[in-house]
Amino acid sequence: MLGLIQNELLIIIGRWRSYIGFIGISILMPLILWGFSVGGEELHQDYAKELGGTFMVVGSIINSFLATYVIMNTLWIHIPFLVTLAAGDSVAADGANGIFRITLTRSVSRFKILVSKLLASYIYTATLLIFCAFWSLGIGSFVLGTGDLIVINNGILILDESQAWVRMAFSFSLAIFVMCMVATLCFMFSTMVSNAVGPIIGTMFLIIIGYMIIGIPLEIFEKIEPYVFVKYFNVWWDAFKDPIPWGEIGKKLGILGIYLVVCFGIATYVFLKKDIKS
Amino acid sequence: MILETKNLTKTFGLRKAVNALNLEIPNGSVYGFLGPNGSGKSTTIRMMTALISPDQGEVLINGQSVQKLGNKALLSVGALIERADFHKHLSGETNLKMLARMDGTDESRVQVVLNRTGLGERGKDKVKTYSQGMKQRLGIAQAILSNPKLLILDEPTNGLDPQGMKEVRDLVRELAAEGITIFISSHLLDEVQKICSHVAMISQGELKTAGPIEVLLKNSDLLVTEIHVDPIAPAIKLLSTQSWIHRCEEKNGLLNVGVSHDKISDLIQLLVQNNLQVSAVIPRTSLEDVFLSKVGEESQI
Repeated sequence: MLGLIQNELLIIIGRWRSYIGFIGISILMPLILWGFSVGGEELHQDYAKELGGTFMVVGSIINSFLATYVIMNTLWIHIPFLVTLAAGDSVAADGANGIFRITLTRSVSRFKILVSKLLASYIYTATLLIFCAFWSLGIGSFVLGTGDLIVINNGILILDESQAWVRMAFSFSLAIFVMCMVATLCFMFSTMVSNAVGPIIGTMFLIIIGYMIIGIPLEIFEKIEPYVFVKYFNVWWDAFKDPIPWGEIGKKLGILGIYLVVCFGIATYVFLKKDIKS
Repeated sequence: MILETKNLTKTFGLRKAVNALNLEIPNGSVYGFLGPNGSGKSTTIRMMTALISPDQGEVLINGQSVQKLGNKALLSVGALIERADFHKHLSGETNLKMLARMDGTDESRVQVVLNRTGLGERGKDKVKTYSQGMKQRLGIAQAILSNPKLLILDEPTNGLDPQGMKEVRDLVRELAAEGITIFISSHLLDEVQKICSHVAMISQGELKTAGPIEVLLKNSDLLVTEIHVDPIAPAIKLLSTQSWIHRCEEKNGLLNVGVSHDKISDLIQLLVQNNLQVSAVIPRTSLEDVFLSKVGEESQI
């Protein structure tokens, strides 16, 4: 199995499309960090105003933790899109390029090939998010420095630097799980078609429709809201609550996990039954 | 038998692509698989290699069912299905190493098969820089990578120039000489006749005939003969009017006639009675003649 995963990673590494996400992050992050460093005073003033009645603010509250906390909003749309670029290609491209005529005639089960492709997509997804964290937290620490993280969300939570590091790591771990669910959804579509664009459009369509359903305050939408997977995407924010709502996090991960398993189950059924005609 | 199909059937929509096909491929044979375009050759080969599931029937490789065991039954099989496609952005060598890793083949075999197929010096180049002939040779390299006992080749010379076709043909001959059983579908009847020991012909998904080539040629309903006859023009004019003559034409100064076995004496008698001088009658039935008699002249292979 390790050999198969190694093969799939080689394929991902060899495709220029796989680098779009890394290039995008490498362009976007310096811009955001630069924006924080030159325009952070305004944000500082806003925060200071919120805290002013209760706390005395010494120094700047703008640091890499706050920047990362803001940057994590890209996890709603941008990062899922970048994740689908690799996952969408995973099965569909091999079908379209005739590679299956070579690989699926060997003495390796289709299931193993499918699992190796999915795990390689997960590794890509995790690498992309770690790269994002490296920029925002790693490079961000050099540009903006570190310090306490002040989270204003139904109250004020101040996390000292050591706690902020732990919470950030936890939040990114949760985000990786969420993005793996997105990758599995896209992967499922990838087993059904023979071009990579369809799975990307399908996945992004479902995510955007999901946001619309949970964002529009209509009774009919509120009834179906619990079944919309994007409702649970915000699990990474739970890492910045105090105390950490373990039960809530467990429930959200469980539901996302069910979606992940169902998507993989469908992908397996489709792939094992698939006739390779091209 | 190294490869058998039993009652193999596949339907696409309302069209029966393969209908109750029974084939038996003996160990050590070079087995040609012939049929017109759309006759079900590729579908059959894809069912043999687990790419397509049959609606009925099964494929047995060394007695093991491909449909029951899945790809595990393909342990001793190498296959090249139509055009050889690889990851173009990777080198030929990397592509083969990936395939070696898939089924646990020693990676040292990669250089061996690259050399064997004449790609030893281009192995490190990306596949996108290869010509179609080189890609097809890389396709054969991957097929023989894991030392198969059975090689299944579907139209391996498709899209190749005459030199490329000759190279593939020579390679197939060499592999056959090493004792590998080869099941090959091809457009080229004369080449199949040259390299194959056995042949099966299908049309509209159904088996028309199968067996050793020598036996098929011997038992063919249609006997094609070359006749030394003088003068030749009146002979052609005479024979063209006979309804029992299937074919009559001049080739290299000889009369080439297609006729049923039981009519050969009538043919000679007719020529002699019409004062035409017959000096030699040479049987020349080819695989193409057998194919046309079994599958029909209208079929285009």
